Amino acid sequence: MSDARNRRGLEEVAIIGARAVPVGRIQTPAGAERDVVEHEILSRLVADTIDEAGVPRDAVGSMVFSEPHVYTRQKYFSTFMTAYLGMKCHGAVVEMLGNGMTGGLAFDRAADDIRLGRSTVALALGVNMETATSAAEHMNITVRATGDVDFHSPAGFTPISWYAMDATRYMHEYGATREDLAAVAVKNRRHAALNPLAQFRKPIDIPDVLAARMIVEPLTLLDVPPRGDGAVCIVLASESFARERGQPYVRVRGRGSYHEGVHQVSDRPNDMIAFDAAQRAGRLAYADAGVSAADISLAEIYAPCTIVEILAAEALGLLARGQGRRAAVDGASALGGRIPINTSGGCQSRGHPARLTPLYNLVELFQQLTGTAGERQVDGAELALMSCELGNYNAALVHILEGAR
Amino acid sequence: MNTLKIIDVSTPRAWPPRVTAFSEPFWAALAAGKLTTTCCKRCNEAMFPPKPICPRCLSRQVEWQPVSPRGTLYSHTVVHIAPEIFAAEAPYAVGIIDLDGGLRIAMRVLGAPALLKVGQAGGVVCLRHPDGPYFAFLADDTEAAVR
Repeated sequence: MSDARNRRGLEEVAIIGARAVPVGRIQTPAGAERDVVEHEILSRLVADTIDEAGVPRDAVGSMVFSEPHVYTRQKYFSTFMTAYLGMKCHGAVVEMLGNGMTGGLAFDRAADDIRLGRSTVALALGVNMETATSAAEHMNITVRATGDVDFHSPAGFTPISWYAMDATRYMHEYGATREDLAAVAVKNRRHAALNPLAQFRKPIDIPDVLAARMIVEPLTLLDVPPRGDGAVCIVLASESFARERGQPYVRVRGRGSYHEGVHQVSDRPNDMIAFDAAQRAGRLAYADAGVSAADISLAEIYAPCTIVEILAAEALGLLARGQGRRAAVDGASALGGRIPINTSGGCQSRGHPARLTPLYNLVELFQQLTGTAGERQVDGAELALMSCELGNYNAALVHILEGAR
Repeated sequence: MNTLKIIDVSTPRAWPPRVTAFSEPFWAALAAGKLTTTCCKRCNEAMFPPKPICPRCLSRQVEWQPVSPRGTLYSHTVVHIAPEIFAAEAPYAVGIIDLDGGLRIAMRVLGAPALLKVGQAGGVVCLRHPDGPYFAFLADDTEAAVR
């Protein structure tokens, strides 16, 4: 392999398959008469996905997993699962972890193996099970993740409390209203209604969002992500392998990443809602792809809360600074609009199995860019942007994807 | 002027911070009504939380210095759905404070949440729990509503 790589240089990376189970409540509580276990769900999904992609199983050389939550009983999940599937790999067999970026990092690592010529086909995959644990108990863990565990966590900062403070600040600086934020949730629910993988598909309107239970002010239950379980498998391959198959595929056209050296909050006053990491990672990705924000047909943005979709889209140059609040209201970010965002239904409605959300976003973009998104199909979808993040967008990982038909 | 208002709280801290040999001066000063942090002797920059190294120049030469507790509210929220650990305290407000000396620190915010406004001035206070101290922000002209 390494000799071939030295002759060839770097490979172009393609996505040739993507499948997921519908997001929802899948995990069984302790003591259930019949349990649901992760490896049974994921093994069936992997078999379905590589069959559909038309890939001989021996071609799979890398298995890059998102690390399951602590609630998954099986440990050393990546090597266990690789054996469960009977895979033999020259490339990576590994679990990735990076907060909200976890699924994106699994994809990025799998893409590296293709790019370096270590594998001809690589899987980026995972399973997220958490719903049998209550939100209040789950947050006992996450409150330790989003801040310094000794200096911040004792104050009770929950992960979404940081996004809520983004919302407060954005409303203060730009005059955005709760209705503007709610319009994002309503728009995403309309998208989800057309997505068989979505957790919530019943239409909602702005008064529903405003009247829902307050979670973290000014965000209500419908502005924030539901809890969900899921499983995803993405098949990556070298572009030469993808081309020889003679079927539509998606090319990874560019990538950028940046960690701003901040964990949730900078100890130096900065413009917190500028999402500097997204700006920088986005610029790198556009430059790597040789395109600009204006060339993008649609975007899947990791945005647990409505406000995050607005701020990230602004930082990535898809919407004008301070004007993102209008995009869902006037339809610019809706299906049929200038720049459809989160046609999957986004975290609020497609669902947010947190360790997998970026991989679910890839499933959506694979369908869109291969023209198989059905009723959600964006006309003329050619170039798509995917962004994921951790913290309060303190780090961002951006990919530019292109349909090849 | 740099002495913190001390507010007695009858319950122990829900998530007590750990005290290390390095961080002990911070918690001891806080218990005595002083807000302090480490400052780099090489680049003269303060940091928060306090650290044994300077995150700007990686110097190990840091020293404890007092921090003025006055500042303004950069942003805030009220947590209604809380972790189990903090359930008894919900709803509670948290915020990000820009201190007059140039540091930005996130902390619990006391007082009536409905009265909180971006840009509001106030001061850091010491919460004296039976098991040790913690810190919070009290905006001027808001009632302290501490359980």
